[in-house]
Amino acid sequence: MATIDVARRRAPASLLAASLAVTARRLGEVWAEIRRSPTALVGLGILIFFVAIALFAPLLAHYPPLARVSESCNPICPGSPPSSQFPLGTSSRNADIYSEVIWGTQISLFVGILSAIVASVVGTTVGLISGFAGGWIDEVVMRFNDIVLSIPWLVLMIIVAALIGTIDVAGLILVIGLTGWSLTARVIRAQVLSVKERMFVERARMIGSSNLHLLWRHIFPNAFPLIFANTILTVAVSILSESVLAFLGLSTPDHVSWGKIISEAYENHAILNGNALWIVVPGLCIVVLVFGFYLFGYALDEILNPRLRRR
Amino acid sequence: MPGDPTLSLFPRDPKYEGLAQYNRALFGLDKSPWEQFVIYLQRTVTLDWGTSYRLGEPVINVLAGDLAWTLLLVGTSTIFTILIGMLVGSYAAWRRGKPFDITSTGIGIFLYGMPIFWLGLMLQATLGNPRFHPFSWWPVYPTNLYYDDTLGPWRWDGAHIWSTLVHLILPAMTLALGSLAGVSLVMRSSLIDTMTEDFVVTARAKGLSERQVLLRHIFPNGLPPMVSLIALDLAFIIGGAYQVEVVFGYRGIGYRTIQAIDDLDYPLLQFIIVIGGVAIVLANLVSDFILLRLDPRIKIA
Repeated sequence: MATIDVARRRAPASLLAASLAVTARRLGEVWAEIRRSPTALVGLGILIFFVAIALFAPLLAHYPPLARVSESCNPICPGSPPSSQFPLGTSSRNADIYSEVIWGTQISLFVGILSAIVASVVGTTVGLISGFAGGWIDEVVMRFNDIVLSIPWLVLMIIVAALIGTIDVAGLILVIGLTGWSLTARVIRAQVLSVKERMFVERARMIGSSNLHLLWRHIFPNAFPLIFANTILTVAVSILSESVLAFLGLSTPDHVSWGKIISEAYENHAILNGNALWIVVPGLCIVVLVFGFYLFGYALDEILNPRLRRR
Repeated sequence: MPGDPTLSLFPRDPKYEGLAQYNRALFGLDKSPWEQFVIYLQRTVTLDWGTSYRLGEPVINVLAGDLAWTLLLVGTSTIFTILIGMLVGSYAAWRRGKPFDITSTGIGIFLYGMPIFWLGLMLQATLGNPRFHPFSWWPVYPTNLYYDDTLGPWRWDGAHIWSTLVHLILPAMTLALGSLAGVSLVMRSSLIDTMTEDFVVTARAKGLSERQVLLRHIFPNGLPPMVSLIALDLAFIIGGAYQVEVVFGYRGIGYRTIQAIDDLDYPLLQFIIVIGGVAIVLANLVSDFILLRLDPRIKIA
C-alpha cells in the first residue's frame, strides 16, 4: 500500500516530464514521416504559401482593405478589366480586386481555422464524455448528434445565424463551428471506446485514479493525434462553408472574403462583362487552399492513425 | 435574420403602420415567443404547415411545385454520381497505386475541395457560353427556368420534355461532379479495406480467377459501408443543390429558401427544414432496407 502512495505522490512532476519527452520524440517521428510523404509535403507547401500571403498582406496589397481606388464614381462603377495598374481589374465598388483577394486570404484562413477549433473543441468534448461515460448519457448524446447530422447543414447554419443575430466575424466563426462538430464527435467517440478498453486504462483505474484523471491523462493524450488530424480536415470544410455562406449573402459587412468577392462578381456578371479573372482567381484560391488542407490532413491521418498505417 | 417580416412586406411609412399591424396580428407575431412556439407545435401535430407571408398561399402548395423540380435535379445527378463514382472508385481500387488510381484520387480530392457554386459558375462560363459550343439547341445559362418558357405552361409533350432535359444538363452535371468524389473515394478505400481481408487471400489460394474474386468476394463485402455513406451524403448533396439552384436560377427548394430568408418568410422556412429532415430520415431508412438485402448477417432486431 505504501509503495502505491509514494508512486502516486511522485507522479505529477515525473509524469509531466515523461509525457513531454514522449511528445517530443513522437513529433520527431511524425516529422520524419511527413518528410517521406510527398502528399504531406505538397499540402504543407500550399498551407505555408497561403499563411505567408495572409501574414504579409499589408506589404503585398496595393490598397487597404475595403478601400476604393478613387471616388470618381459612386456608389456603382462600371469596373475595369485587368491592367498594369490593377492586375485583376477593379470591381463595381471601384476596389482593386487584386488587393481584395490578398486581404481575403486573411479572413478565409482566420475564419476557417478558428471555426475548426470551435468545432473540434465541442466535438472532442462531446465525443470524450459520450464515449467515456457510456450508458444512457452516451445514448442521449448520440441521438442528439443524429438529429444534428440529419438537418441539412446549410439550413442549420442559417438557423444558427438567426439565433446569433447580426453577423460579425465572431458570429460567423460560431455559426460554422457550432454546426460542424457532429462528425468530429463521432470519430472521437469511436477512438475513446477503443482506448478505454486498453490495459493501461484498466491499470490506472485499479490504482484508484479518478475519472477526470483517466480522461485527461490517459484517454485524451491517446486520442489527440486523431483530434489534430481531424481538425486540419475540418479547417478545409470550414473554409468551404464560409465561402458558401458569403456567396449566399451571409457575410460580414466590414470584411472582404473570397466568397464575397465571387458573389459580387457573379451579381455584376463579371464573365459577360469581360473580366473572368474576377471570378476565377478568388475561386482558385479557395480550391487550392482547401486542397492543401485536405492533402495535409489525409497524410497526417495516415501517419497518426495506427489502424490506417497497417495497410 | 431575426426581424419583423412585415417590414419587408410594406414600406417603412407611417401610413402603412395600420396594415403592418393588421398583418402582425394575422401572422400571430404580436404574441410572445412561447405562445408562438406552442401554436407552431399545435399546427405541426395537425399537419397544418401554415401560409406563406409573402405569397399568401398555403406553404404546402408553394413547395409542392418546387419540390418536384428539386427532386428531378437531385435525383438525376445522384444516379449519375453513384454509378460513375462506384465505377471510378472500384477501378481505382483494382489498379491501386497505378496511374489511373493516382490521377483519379488526385482529381477526386481536388473536386471534393471545390465550392459547388464556383464549379457551377465555371461550367456556366465555359459549357454554357454560346461562344464555346456549337449546338444551337443548347440553352444559354443561367436559364432562369427549368424549361424554355416561351413554350407556355408545362405539359407532357415532346417539346417540353426535351427542353426540360436540355435545361437540366449543366445544373445536374455541376451537382454530380461536386458530389462524385465523395462516393468514389469512399468506394475505393472500402474496397481496398476488403482486399486485405483473409478470405480474399483464401479465395485466391483456392484458384478462383481475379474476376470471380472481385465479383463474388470483394464486392459483396465492400458495398455495405457505401450504402450507409450515400444516405449520410444526402445532407451534403442537398446543400450542393441549394448552391446549384441559386447559380443556375433553377427555381426549386433552394432558390425558394434564399428568397424566404430575404423575406423573413418563417412558415416557408420552417417547412423547408422539415422537408430536409424528412428526406434524410427517409434516405437512411431506405439504406437500412438495402443493407438488409445486401448483408445476410443483419437482422431486424
